[in-house]
Amino acid sequence: MWTEILFFDAPWPAPPPPPESVRGAAGAWAEFHGCVRATENGRNIAALRYDIYEAMARRVLAAHLEALAQKHGLIAARFRHRSGVVPVGEAAVYAAVAAPHRREAFAALAELMDLLKTDVPIWKVEVVPA
Amino acid sequence: MKILYFAHVAKALGRREDELDVPAPVTADALWERLLALRPALAPYRASIHLARNGEYAGPAGQFANGDEVALIPPVSGG
Repeated sequence: MWTEILFFDAPWPAPPPPPESVRGAAGAWAEFHGCVRATENGRNIAALRYDIYEAMARRVLAAHLEALAQKHGLIAARFRHRSGVVPVGEAAVYAAVAAPHRREAFAALAELMDLLKTDVPIWKVEVVPA
Repeated sequence: MKILYFAHVAKALGRREDELDVPAPVTADALWERLLALRPALAPYRASIHLARNGEYAGPAGQFANGDEVALIPPVSGG
């Protein structure tokens, strides 16, 4: 499977389209943008701050993506996560997967986002008040 | 070995890493003894921290030696 995992400490440019190599094989390219909301536990906030153990996060995510590829037939995936301060409204996480059909793509994307919260060493460290 | 701290653990300790010397490979329990002697402020976090060795979660039988990169992984909260 074609995989790209990147971490950014500033807003990323618009995510590129699926890689050329999947054209013709992918009937679905499903994307998810996870954005910072203006409230956290009922309080107004200005931003969240994230910390990442990048080397390990990359390795754990790659293993999850390989498992999802086996289960759902994924043929490509892009993953991005911000570190440092992420203001309200900006995306903290982006994930996209390519699969032959939409059902597999949606399922794999949802599972990936659930797995992110189980063992990938990325932390929401601090809430910056509004 | 290099010890890495992240997130609120790093904040509580006021540092992101330590260097620890062990004469021979140690178990997780023995490593924790040394860590708590070096950084007593780690005590409240011990129960919730998983140890990782060279970028992989360490199993209960894991051994830790000089030259390893050991990370203290508190509960994750990405996304």
